[in-house]
Amino acid sequence: METLALLWGIIGPGVAGAVFGAGWWFWVDAVVCSAVQVSFLHYLPGIFASLAALMFNAVNKDEIGYDYYSPYGDDSEWRVKLWLFVAYVVSFVCLAGSVGMLVQDALTDKGPSVWTGVAGVLQCVLVLISGLIYWTCHSEE
Amino acid sequence: MVCVLTVLAGLAFMFSTSILLQILACALYNNWWPMLAALMYVLVPMPCLFFGGGSTQFLTSRDGGGWFNAAKFLTGASAMGSIAIPAILRHAGLIETGAMFIEFTSFFILVCTVLCFHRATLDEDW
Repeated sequence: METLALLWGIIGPGVAGAVFGAGWWFWVDAVVCSAVQVSFLHYLPGIFASLAALMFNAVNKDEIGYDYYSPYGDDSEWRVKLWLFVAYVVSFVCLAGSVGMLVQDALTDKGPSVWTGVAGVLQCVLVLISGLIYWTCHSEE
Repeated sequence: MVCVLTVLAGLAFMFSTSILLQILACALYNNWWPMLAALMYVLVPMPCLFFGGGSTQFLTSRDGGGWFNAAKFLTGASAMGSIAIPAILRHAGLIETGAMFIEFTSFFILVCTVLCFHRATLDEDW
């Protein structure tokens, strides 16, 4: 079990990077192969999902521990939790938005194709999973 | 005890095979689109050079530290680009399926070369 954790610490960030890259490249494929111009609105879920993944990886994991004593005073862990909460809300809205766009693309023939919608959802999901993978394996110095 | 020269020759051979396959993917089908993947070969070593401390040592160490993790992340993301570009070109119908698979093979050989290089540099007798 110990070696597994060690191995994960070694290759984890690389795997997270690969998943992140895969998410964005699926989106590039959808935009390139789309017959119609993909409006900027469709880009937003992916962009905000990447922002959310960046946000929740920016926290110092020690700060949300049980007996953390902060130099700012005794009750400041709410700041970290608020930050994480906002990141969670942004991820949720992105996912919901991309699923909504997929449904919209599937229902009408005039806008982007179904593949654009599917790629959007894949992009959001893979980017967020990449953020989670990085969370589990990034070690602080 | 493998002679250093043999190791170097082997690495050079693998590397040139990779480049050869990359060019073949374009020449055999008379279509120069696959060369776009060569863009990624410029991008992939960059995180290692800039953040990795100059050697590939950090790739298999658990040392961590923010910059090494970031370097691994960026290397992974760039490597994914090497696989993604031929796939996207194929999906857009700009290249043949055969060219795509030749590109994948070239990338695979390049990865093997880097891994062998990493193994070889770990030896103190290098």
